[in-house]
Amino acid sequence: MQTLIPDHRRDLEIRRYPSFIYVLVPLAALVLQAWLPRVLGRFAYLDLPLLVTIYFALNRRSAIHGTLLGAVLGMAQDGLTQGAIGVHGIANTVCGFLAASIGIRIVVENNIIRMVLNFLFTLLSSALILFIMTAVLGLEWQSNWLDELFRAVGNAGIGLVLFPLLDRTQARD
Amino acid sequence: MESFFSRYRNVLVLLAALLVQVIGLAVQVRKPAATVADTGPIHETKDGRGVRLIRLWVAGAVTPVERAIHGSGQGIDWLWNNYVDLRHTRDENRQLQQTIDRLRLEQASLIEDARQGQRLQALLKFQESYIYQTTAAQVIGSSGSTQSHVVWLDKGSADGLAPDMAVITGDGIVGKVRDVFQHTAQVLLINDQTSGAGVVLETTRIRGILRGNPSGQPQVINILMDSRIQPGEKVLTAGGDQVFPRGLPVGVVQQVLRDVDRGSFINVIVKPAVDLERLDEVLVVTSLEPHLSAAQLADVKTSEELKGAEVAAEAQRKKAAAEMGERLPGLKDPNAPEVAPKIDPDTGKPIEAYQLPTPKPLPAVHPDRFSPGGAAVTPPSEAGDAAPADDTPKTKIVPKTPAPKSQGTQSSKPNKPHGRGR
Repeated sequence: MQTLIPDHRRDLEIRRYPSFIYVLVPLAALVLQAWLPRVLGRFAYLDLPLLVTIYFALNRRSAIHGTLLGAVLGMAQDGLTQGAIGVHGIANTVCGFLAASIGIRIVVENNIIRMVLNFLFTLLSSALILFIMTAVLGLEWQSNWLDELFRAVGNAGIGLVLFPLLDRTQARD
Repeated sequence: MESFFSRYRNVLVLLAALLVQVIGLAVQVRKPAATVADTGPIHETKDGRGVRLIRLWVAGAVTPVERAIHGSGQGIDWLWNNYVDLRHTRDENRQLQQTIDRLRLEQASLIEDARQGQRLQALLKFQESYIYQTTAAQVIGSSGSTQSHVVWLDKGSADGLAPDMAVITGDGIVGKVRDVFQHTAQVLLINDQTSGAGVVLETTRIRGILRGNPSGQPQVINILMDSRIQPGEKVLTAGGDQVFPRGLPVGVVQQVLRDVDRGSFINVIVKPAVDLERLDEVLVVTSLEPHLSAAQLADVKTSEELKGAEVAAEAQRKKAAAEMGERLPGLKDPNAPEVAPKIDPDTGKPIEAYQLPTPKPLPAVHPDRFSPGGAAVTPPSEAGDAAPADDTPKTKIVPKTPAPKSQGTQSSKPNKPHGRGR
């Protein structure tokens, strides 16, 4: 009975979305991620693919879904850079898995919780990327942690606007 | 067994996803050669087939949308502002507000068009005057990551672009083409940590390698401490990297910092000549073969013709001078008998050059007291026949006598007989 309770709760609170949302939203996130820095310049402190990963992982409450979505979006993000494919992929994979695992246990409709989660997951992503670049790949890579902090703050702020907008796209039973 | 997989399904999927990507990463990086083992592992410059395929998919999915966004930028602006305008439809002055906003939009659009026209005009002017062959391209996107400084162009291999081509603007260098697809290309900017360009400081002629630092600023590394390097000094491309042509502006020295790891080395922070955050139109150097425009070719032809005409005129002048020299009477008498060359008694060789004697006036037929040496010449009646039978003057030389008062300035030297010219 105890093992059924989380699954039962999860089944009740799983949010479902139309299929095209799973294609359009990540694609739009990738396009905007590549296009907005041209408009905002060096002040483009955002990581939209990571935000989309966190959002769907939190609301779908499926670790597998969050893991795979994070992997695909992260690798697509790597495809836009000159770096090795898999750096953002691994970071987003871990973030997606953790977000889904947390989403099962806490109420994620609260905006403050969402903001804190976005902030922490963005910092975690930056730390993972730095770890992969330096420890795994052994590259001489340095990171400006002030920029990463700004990026985490930016993601937290954007999440406050983006998540309610995405909430409106969920399928109604 | 089945319960194990169902129970740890999530973790297993996570581990599988991570394992696949770690293996992928391992394939993409390579170990350096043993001779350069201290440099550590480096990322492959060229992508493998699978990696290139992933990049191709992503570029195929993202760049068409970016191209559409870029192409319809004004339309999006129009839609956005009209959406904003619709929020004011309840206002009583809606019509006036819309008119004002429309005029503002048109004005902004015209200003933007004018600016773009000026930029394109400057770029075209630079392209026409630039000696190497270039292709103009529009920047349509970026990497979207603050750690990766790359941009995407709307031109690709179909337009003649290839990897390792230099990307420049009229102000200076931008980066180099890294990856090329059919209609898009990825450009690695000079402020990326993985970029590298050979540069030279203009005044001190100190050479170094330009690459980005974690803050996204280009810096010249591996330079020994030198007090001559001061902020404001221009930095140019050195031309030795086989990518950037020599002498292109890179930027100016902004700051000189000591390398914290190596005390005797400094890092020279460079303020790039090009605003790398606001790139719109760029030129890709597609060929390092000199490419001259029609006007430049005409100038070169005119210059060569002028130079040829000048050389011909100089030759003509020399020829005319030689002919004139032959025609003019010289000091040498062509009718004079051949004189045997004088032999130097010391060396026994003929003396080719000798000093010409001072020309002296011919003796007067009827010398009087005004004639040179006339005071010492006897009247013709005493000298006999005035008309000499030959060139030898038949004047009689008499001992020097006191000259009259009017002849005090006359030469008192004895008048020696001499031939013409000699």
